[in-house]
Amino acid sequence: MTYKIEMNHITKVFGSLVANDDVTLKVKPAEIHALLGENGAGKSTLMSILFGLYQAEDGDIIIDGEKVTILNPNDANDLGIGMVHQHFKLVDTFSVLDNIILGAEDTKYGVISYDEARKKLENLIEKYHLKVELDALIKDITVGQQQRVEILKMLYRDSNILIFDEPTAVLTPQEIHDLMGIMRNFAKEGKTIILITHKLNEIKEVADRCTVLRRGKMIGTVNVNETSVEEMATMMVGRKVSFTVDKPDVKTGEVVFSVENLNLEGKGKKILTDINLSVHRGEIVGIAGIDGNGQTEFVQAITGLIPTHHGKVMLNGKDITKASIRKKYEIGMSHIPEDRQKHGVVLDFNLESNMVIQNYYQKEFQNKSFLKFKQIREYTNNLIEKFDIRSERGAETDLRSMSGGNQQKAILGREISRNHELLIAVQPTRGLDVGAIEFIHKQLIEERSRQKGILLVSLELDEILDLSDRILVMYEGEIVAELDPKKTNYDEIGLYMSGGKRGLKA
Amino acid sequence: MKNMLNKFIIAIKPSLIAVAFGLFVGLIIMLAFNPMEAFPALITLLLGGFNGGLQGIGNTLYMAAPIILSGLAVAFAFKTGLFNIGASGQMMVGAYVAVHIGVLWNVTGLLHWIVALLLGGLAGLIWGLIPGLLKAFRNVNEVIASIMMNYIASFLLIMLINQNVIQELRAEARIVQRSAVLPSLSFLFPGSTINIGIVLTIIIVILVHILIHKTTLGFQLRASGFSMDGSKYAGMNTKRNIVVAMALSGLFAGLGGAIMFLTFGKALPADGVIFAEGFDGISVALLGLGEPIGALFAGLFLSNIRMGGYYLQSFVFVPQIVDMIVAIIIYMTAISITVQALFKRYGEQIKAWKINRKKKGDEA
Amino acid sequence: MDVIYNLIQITLGSMTILLVVALGGLLSERSGVTNIALEGIMIFGAFLGIWAIQGFEVYPYSPMTKFAILIVTFSIGLIVGYFILQLIRKFLLKKEEPMKIKDLFLKESSKFNLLFILGVALIIGLILFFILSANPMSVSLVLLMGLAVAGVTGGLYAMVHGYAAIHLKSNQIISATALNLFAPALAIFTRRVITQGGQQIKFDSNFIIQKVPLLGDIPVIGDLFFKRVYLSFYVGLVILLIVAFVVKKTKFGLRLRACGENPHAADSLGINIYKLRFKAVALSGVLAGMGGVMFVTTFSNEFNVTVAGFGFLAIAVLIFGNWRPSRILLAALFFGFMRTIASSYSSIGFLRDLALPGQIYDMIPYVATLVVLMFASKNSRAPKALGQVYDQGKR
Repeated sequence: MTYKIEMNHITKVFGSLVANDDVTLKVKPAEIHALLGENGAGKSTLMSILFGLYQAEDGDIIIDGEKVTILNPNDANDLGIGMVHQHFKLVDTFSVLDNIILGAEDTKYGVISYDEARKKLENLIEKYHLKVELDALIKDITVGQQQRVEILKMLYRDSNILIFDEPTAVLTPQEIHDLMGIMRNFAKEGKTIILITHKLNEIKEVADRCTVLRRGKMIGTVNVNETSVEEMATMMVGRKVSFTVDKPDVKTGEVVFSVENLNLEGKGKKILTDINLSVHRGEIVGIAGIDGNGQTEFVQAITGLIPTHHGKVMLNGKDITKASIRKKYEIGMSHIPEDRQKHGVVLDFNLESNMVIQNYYQKEFQNKSFLKFKQIREYTNNLIEKFDIRSERGAETDLRSMSGGNQQKAILGREISRNHELLIAVQPTRGLDVGAIEFIHKQLIEERSRQKGILLVSLELDEILDLSDRILVMYEGEIVAELDPKKTNYDEIGLYMSGGKRGLKA
Repeated sequence: MKNMLNKFIIAIKPSLIAVAFGLFVGLIIMLAFNPMEAFPALITLLLGGFNGGLQGIGNTLYMAAPIILSGLAVAFAFKTGLFNIGASGQMMVGAYVAVHIGVLWNVTGLLHWIVALLLGGLAGLIWGLIPGLLKAFRNVNEVIASIMMNYIASFLLIMLINQNVIQELRAEARIVQRSAVLPSLSFLFPGSTINIGIVLTIIIVILVHILIHKTTLGFQLRASGFSMDGSKYAGMNTKRNIVVAMALSGLFAGLGGAIMFLTFGKALPADGVIFAEGFDGISVALLGLGEPIGALFAGLFLSNIRMGGYYLQSFVFVPQIVDMIVAIIIYMTAISITVQALFKRYGEQIKAWKINRKKKGDEA
Repeated sequence: MDVIYNLIQITLGSMTILLVVALGGLLSERSGVTNIALEGIMIFGAFLGIWAIQGFEVYPYSPMTKFAILIVTFSIGLIVGYFILQLIRKFLLKKEEPMKIKDLFLKESSKFNLLFILGVALIIGLILFFILSANPMSVSLVLLMGLAVAGVTGGLYAMVHGYAAIHLKSNQIISATALNLFAPALAIFTRRVITQGGQQIKFDSNFIIQKVPLLGDIPVIGDLFFKRVYLSFYVGLVILLIVAFVVKKTKFGLRLRACGENPHAADSLGINIYKLRFKAVALSGVLAGMGGVMFVTTFSNEFNVTVAGFGFLAIAVLIFGNWRPSRILLAALFFGFMRTIASSYSSIGFLRDLALPGQIYDMIPYVATLVVLMFASKNSRAPKALGQVYDQGKR
């Protein structure tokens, strides 16, 4: 039979990184084909090649039995390929209509004419139930609606090969359900769908076949209804995934950190509502939730990156609500930030400068304002050893040239080694390979044994379930549940995460 | 040691290429207009101050001091991630205050020029402080704010000179009293106007270098310059850093402006012209790769070819050729990083092609 | 009464210059490229534009002037030829796709098309050339030709900044500064070397329309806007309308705005960011060049290698006007007005009595800009991607 799409022996290299290593993907017509893999497995890269954003070093692409060359998104469009990106490529200040026609405008002598486009879009909106207001501005509509705009972009261009890159990361469970329905409709119509995802349950729900990538290599293609979630997970990570981490029993101590009635407003709506929580010594409190429900703002508020006006934050017995960031560090806060390259490090500084970025002014590192370089070097070398931080030239290495995993280990080492009582870790293992993830999880558990308080904010439910002693669920800026990891399960947490259930449970 | 030397050479390569290219294009332009005189003119330019022996060298050093300080001001701001295009305005207010004190105040002996110099620097500091505050607290783009300050300074100068220190019948200020003049060094370079300005400048350059690279303040400023977000996360007071950086930058420029006019017989013009030396500072800072020591050498170089421009009087060309060369040099520094990367990639492609050919040759 | 009319005339004169240059800045910045080289481009455009005007004033024309005219008419011919070709293709040959410029040179089959355009250009160019050189040009035509020359040169000069900033990904402030430094130096150098010192580049014409027929007779409004008005004022208004229309309603305008707000989005839809931004920067140069000529013809009768900071003031107007054409018009009016007060306060009764030194009024526009920036920077509608280098490799 003729496959709709064949990507044969694709190799793509970025400098020294082999993103796709001799990958072959064959997709049948009118099927929903999932592309499964961890972060950095090469799924996005492969699809970017199909969409013309990159060109492969080796290999070829065959559509409908004919070999094709795709040099840019226009070529891809001409072949009927469309892509909904993970990070939406929309112009905030434009209307929905303008965003959809951008690049494919009907014109009369250079002047845009909207009539035909409107008609066509209104038909498409009817047909596929993609309700969205054509004249609304992107910045005024919800994330779910924005995604529909991205989908309409593809349909407007008569795409019949639709690529979805991690489409559910930003959706509520209801919106995910709707999306699955839309995808099934497309397939029934004869359109071919490729779904990039790392969510096993979604694959089970909607995909026909699944190709697994791991570290740039193609591992295999399976029929979804003949394969279990565990089998797919093993293919994805390469070994039996243990779903639990060794957690010793630790006696929890007094409250070391508490937040009372934290409220935050912005852009005309409430971002955080009446947040109350506390962290004890020797416990890991995990905050679960879908990205965009206030976790980012919550952490920024308690760490001082944004100002707080309503509420009280206490650390180590002292009120740090209005304290400067430096003061918070001095009183005992440590923070592994969500955006490690933006906040966590100064990329153009070297490793040792980064290691003392918060306490360079303290007595051990300076004398009468002159930096004590010897001491800084020693301190850094210590951290390098203890935390296995790999870099080209040791303490002198520019942080930019270090890998993501090593950058994160450096940040972790720095935050743990400083005097602190509370460690706030946000997405500490995002984008890291399995080895680094294990290392960091181990470090967090050890922190717990050392009677530190840990606030873990993560989008990975596995991580939350594995590490936390208590789980709080944040939804639309509120804490909607407090759960015991030993007694709860994915479904229950998922329900709270999507607002399906509210109310604190002991 | 060898590693450091290597690193140094790699670092200054962009500047050297830019200079070479600028001179090359300047040569082409001169050849286009008058082939006969082009080469001799170029040599004259390059020799610069040396054309006039010790006197020429002395004058070169004298002229270099203000533009080195101006370059230092711009470079210092660069390090903190800020663009101080307002060095001219800061120099101008520094010059005015110094002249005002030099003409009107009666300060005993040695102190006169010291006070004039310091207060001139202070004036520059205040002039740089304003855009700094605007940037830190109202997020006003410092480039635009600095440019506005330049124009405000030019008008302010006319007004103040007219009111206080105007020279009768001329559109310029009176010359400063003898006691306010910077001590001369012409015994070293007879016939020239050189004074201790250049010595003070070198000392300031060294102090600033130490400040930036060895102190906690320098550490903070550099961190802010590389990453506002990262330095904020680290607990640094980024607003304060911006203000301090612009204030100090203004201080250096102000000192430069003061040095320019604490000379005997030199009158501060009341014509509203914005000091060109301030824009020279941009060229100097860029050529000097944003480092204080770099600014020192770049400033000496620029002063030298400027001097060369004066010696072009016997040729048909005009000194503006120097400005054109400098402009081209700046343009080249702007694109040099990309051009270097292009050359590197081109070189690698050629290498890869050669290897490929060899492979195919071996297989055949 | 006369005093007021005089003030208005000067105000409108200043306003026009600021308006045109700020609109140029608008095009560049809304595509995402900062352009503080407007000052230098104005000087460059003014240099060649005024030189051309000097040439156009003297009839019969010198060989160099004839050459300049030929270039302008040939360019017009090329544009006309291109459009005629497209029309023929669409209606006579019933071809759907318009022919792209690069295809003209690349495809074998289109050699005929290329020859066609060149042929039309030559014919039209020569016809126009003979028409123009048959008689001395009217004052208005002289100015328009001067503006055309300045526009072309300004556009070319701006491309130097554009190429560095866009294709070579250099720091936009630095490359712009280089342009600002180079233009006056080149102008002085060339002028002295060519004219062997002494000779100025000056012109005699007075580019003021004494009275527009009919419209000038309307009471009040006629006296304000249609009597003793700088010709450039009308040119400026036309440019405003064109720019506002293009930005809001055309395909080019939509794509330009997309490049300035979210180039990644535009790129993913197949739009060539580099090409579009480059065009925008070139256009900003065209307008700035014209603004340079307008400056010289409004305030003096010779080219003095300066535009008195209008290039930078225009950037302030752009920011004040929140990157929107209608606001920019108002901002330009305000700044023009301030400057006028500064230079003519001595003829205004109560201001003369205040006995403030003249420089205070000079400072007002600049101080006002600072004040406005203090409060405007918070709600700015600056293009989101302004000043950020776009690298396709980092998609």
